[in-house]
Amino acid sequence: MSAAASLPHDAARQHVSGSARYVDDIPTPQGTLHLAFGLSSCAAGQIRSVDLSAVRACPGVHLVLEAKDLPYANDVSPSAHDEPLLADGHVHYAGQPIFLVVAESHHLARRATRLAKVEITAEPAILTIEQALTAESRFEDGPRIYTKGTPQSAMKGAIHRLQGQINLGGQEHFYLEGQAALALPGDHGDMVIHSSTQHPTEIQHKVAEALNIAQHAVRVEVRRMGGGFGGKESQGNALAVACALAASFTGRPCKMRYDRDDDFIITGKRHDCRIDYDVGFDDSGRVQTLEFAHYFRCGWALDLSLPVADRAMLHADNAYDLPHVKITSHRLKTNTQSATAFRGFGGPQGMVGIERVMDHIAHSLSCDPAEVRRRNYYPEMSSKPAARPSVTPYQMEVTDFILGDMTESLLQRCDYHARKVEVARWNASHALLKRGIAFSPVKFGISFTLTHLNQAGALVQIYTDGSVLINHGGTEMGQGLFQKLTQVAARSLGAQQAVIRASATDTSKVPNTSATAASSGADLNGMAVQAACDTLIGRLKDHVAAQHGVKPEEITFAEGQVTAPGLVLTWQEVIASAYEARISLSATGFYKTPEIAWDRIKGAGQPFLYFAYGAAVTEVVIDTLTGENRILRCDILHDCGASLNPALDVGQIEGGFVQGAGWLTTEELVWDASGQLKTHAPSTYKIPACSDRPEIFNVDLWPGQNAQKTIYRSKAVGEPPFMHGISAFLALSNAVAACGPHYPDLQAPANSEEVFNAVARARGSAS
Amino acid sequence: MYETNFHKAATAQEAAALLNRSEDGKILAGGQTLIPTMKQRLADPTDVIDVSAAADLRGITIAGDQVTIGAMTTHAEVAGHAALAALCPSICKLAANIGDPAVRHRGTIGGSLANNDPAADYPAAALALNARIHTTSREIAADDFFEGMFTTALEDDEIITAVSFTAPAKGGYGKFPNPASRYAMAGVFVAKLADGSARVAVTGAGEDGVHRHDGLEAALSADWAASAVDGVEISLDGLLSDLHGNAAYRANLVKVMAKRALG
Amino acid sequence: MSKKKHVTLNVNGKTEEFLAEPRELLIYTLRERLNITGPHIGCETSHCGACTVTIDGKSVKSCTMFAVQAEGAEITTIEGIGGPDNLHPLQEAFKEHHGLQCGYCTPGMITRATKLLEEIPNPTEAEIRFGMAGNLCRCTGYQNIVKSIQAAAAQMSAAKEAAE
Repeated sequence: MSAAASLPHDAARQHVSGSARYVDDIPTPQGTLHLAFGLSSCAAGQIRSVDLSAVRACPGVHLVLEAKDLPYANDVSPSAHDEPLLADGHVHYAGQPIFLVVAESHHLARRATRLAKVEITAEPAILTIEQALTAESRFEDGPRIYTKGTPQSAMKGAIHRLQGQINLGGQEHFYLEGQAALALPGDHGDMVIHSSTQHPTEIQHKVAEALNIAQHAVRVEVRRMGGGFGGKESQGNALAVACALAASFTGRPCKMRYDRDDDFIITGKRHDCRIDYDVGFDDSGRVQTLEFAHYFRCGWALDLSLPVADRAMLHADNAYDLPHVKITSHRLKTNTQSATAFRGFGGPQGMVGIERVMDHIAHSLSCDPAEVRRRNYYPEMSSKPAARPSVTPYQMEVTDFILGDMTESLLQRCDYHARKVEVARWNASHALLKRGIAFSPVKFGISFTLTHLNQAGALVQIYTDGSVLINHGGTEMGQGLFQKLTQVAARSLGAQQAVIRASATDTSKVPNTSATAASSGADLNGMAVQAACDTLIGRLKDHVAAQHGVKPEEITFAEGQVTAPGLVLTWQEVIASAYEARISLSATGFYKTPEIAWDRIKGAGQPFLYFAYGAAVTEVVIDTLTGENRILRCDILHDCGASLNPALDVGQIEGGFVQGAGWLTTEELVWDASGQLKTHAPSTYKIPACSDRPEIFNVDLWPGQNAQKTIYRSKAVGEPPFMHGISAFLALSNAVAACGPHYPDLQAPANSEEVFNAVARARGSAS
Repeated sequence: MYETNFHKAATAQEAAALLNRSEDGKILAGGQTLIPTMKQRLADPTDVIDVSAAADLRGITIAGDQVTIGAMTTHAEVAGHAALAALCPSICKLAANIGDPAVRHRGTIGGSLANNDPAADYPAAALALNARIHTTSREIAADDFFEGMFTTALEDDEIITAVSFTAPAKGGYGKFPNPASRYAMAGVFVAKLADGSARVAVTGAGEDGVHRHDGLEAALSADWAASAVDGVEISLDGLLSDLHGNAAYRANLVKVMAKRALG
Repeated sequence: MSKKKHVTLNVNGKTEEFLAEPRELLIYTLRERLNITGPHIGCETSHCGACTVTIDGKSVKSCTMFAVQAEGAEITTIEGIGGPDNLHPLQEAFKEHHGLQCGYCTPGMITRATKLLEEIPNPTEAEIRFGMAGNLCRCTGYQNIVKSIQAAAAQMSAAKEAAE
């Protein structure tokens, strides 16, 4: 069936020939101006004076704006109104935009920014987690706490107890296409914005606020992004608003794109954090009680930090049925870039916490880590109903758990047990190189935790030649959403794939959309597209029935043919005659996720419609002399339900794993003592290259279907596979553990130096 | 990037003359370092003098055990030179692991030596091989050429034309690349000269750029073997601690890379 | 004031002449002067490879070359390798084997791969790793990129054999 075919990306032909346009590729009208921000070099302080006379005098500069020049809202935050476009009196991080230059070229604008004289009286900057805790610098009045059972008293009955700490670095998105926006001023003060954003509606709202115009006067169009990964959920607001303001002031088209260094320095990244744990467990490794403390460094503004830190708490259990658990989450405010969404949205951090605990327990008991994990799993969906269903630390029943079967299947197909023995044998005969192998599972909750975001709209239009244009609220960032949705439309309409095209996301076609985030793009928009198609098919069936004297329920639309007893018509014939019969050939569709309800303060409810599952086994080798390491093999079994497009889903899984492994191994962000980001280019920040991918990489899809009625029973796939990268980290820990009797206490990112140091810790020779 | 003037020289001497006439000129060889440096506004030359058309700066000649490599010879050309590989494989291997394919098509040995980046590979080779740096006005021994990071003995209007050396009896290069930049976090070139003495040069690890390592030279002069490295103390003094690794880690890398260089 | 230079290039078979400031980088010449937007600006520091083009038969990152340096050169960009309706076997392979997701790195990746397959017509997996080291992709995990290159290599070798 077409919805499940492994069709290439919808614009693959354009991409491979260089004709797919990104914002910076769109031919601009004559007279287009270009923008650049002047940035703060100080992490915290009061702006004493800003002298922009030399900037204004620079030939080619048309306009220079400071906060005081902005006519209306000076805010680009997604929700809290705490993020001025241009610093207003104070600077809160090194890299914060202070003024905006509008000039005749990109380079002119950038050069002109350097002519400014900005005086800032520096104040003590709060940069680290420890500094923030000491200063009580945090968002919300205190930590959020979710509790299940009585973790403290249960600790008294614990047979074994371990305490530990893991530091997790942040992560730069490094979307290959940097942030970019283009504003085209129109009639009536209208504004058309092309933006590289995952959230066109938010861009629309922020532009409308900044110009004090109605939302209907702003149209945002997004054909594609060159990668997003969460980094374009809110971080594009500043560029789009700046362009709209400049276009409004000058009456000319205005464009802005960040240079890569600026992109690193200005925009938010994955939250780095520290997780403390205190776990009680029995002889079999079953967790009896567990307390986590999450310390999230959120940066200077709220952005999406609360839901990110919430999601970390919501994944602190991962796949494990914890009888007593307490999760305390501190959201710390620091003078650094405002940390933001990044694939997994806090989930990966929370999950690393519990996987670290499992690793530590297994090490202390000298048990097989995969076995310890299985002993702690939630009950399997297929098993007999338990007297009382297991609930998560946030009181949601886990009813669709399939990791028991998936784990068994993966361990068998990758020959885990035999390879584990082989690794041990190999290690016994190699003094300098050590191998490690590790298994890790993923259980990832699907739905926006902010319940009202779980809605989507679509507009499906059929033209008289039978061609179909679908439009929906989702954005294309490489994940293949557009192709999946054309496949959904083809299947729902029974039309041929070739007649269907998805057009650029456009706020004037489908309004009030949610960000393409939380892995929800296909789930939400697929259902909306299907709803619109169902409406159209209903009309077409009624029309065919009336015209040919058959019953509507006897008519079938499939593969471009319309059939009923004694009747065969082509799709095109039906559409042409429907038009002549004055049948409306366009329809909207709408979907809202059922069943979910969530109270984030109480930490109770059903935040997710379902869980997506996966399991990975990764084998690595380390050089104990240097800490160098490489991934030898990775096997993944992943649950996409009934996949909408297996090839695209496998691509998400492969890419997610490599990106996740990058986060935990080579990708290191370093700030200096004054709060300057020192790793702001690919020459200092290492993302995986071709040579870093696993030598052997087997990815299989679990042959199941979603228990929930999602679009063709598929499951979301964007974020969950990212967390398979955790298996690479655990494999490194396993390899290091082969060097000595002590727990390696590996910290992330586990770059060569960290692995080298961990070898010393394992040997007990750390200085 | 600041404004600059562009000149194309047909010969090394013409380039030297142009350099002499310019207020603050820079030679543009492959541009793989100069252009990024100019983009970051860390360099502001009034003039750049492109020497890519200077035929007298190109080519690899081998006469017996004497090797001469023209300054404009690219990393890819060094890496792929069969005769050189037969005589001195270590330098070909070194060249083959600089940057990436596109960088190797543009970057040149002369540019690398003249720039003397503290983490570049070629300076280690030149120093360990006791190379002679030929310029438009003289010949400089490698020992006198490198004067600390980004600093060389070159005069303002002097251009490297070639580098020459006697192929060593044995040689090797061990490099621990920074995974992001692919520059050396520690690179050690070891050479056993015809007289049996060992020369060892370390790049990437020092606070002041490429340098010879007395301890390693003494140990390897006595015994050309990886085991000889074990007993050598790598002092942390003068080693670099930065965001990529601290001095203790680098000291360890120097030792391990020295062993790898020995094969 | 710097003196502008007269530059003549041959880009994708077409002669282009213009006056350029010496500091104009080739990637800007291509994208802004000649409206050839297949090569992308990714990092502008010669690391990511999104701007990779072929100059006189060699892979070069056009963000780290002045236009004036390319005087007289033959330049091939992704547009010169094959158009949407006239795909080169490598382009076809990247499309069919899902060697792309967001597509931003793809033009540079394919442009580099055309040269890799000239240097090594049937590269091993290790040779592809090494030969593609200068082109970063953030989406795919490289698995399908390697597959695409291998598939194209096989197809091109077979076609060559058939022709001989």
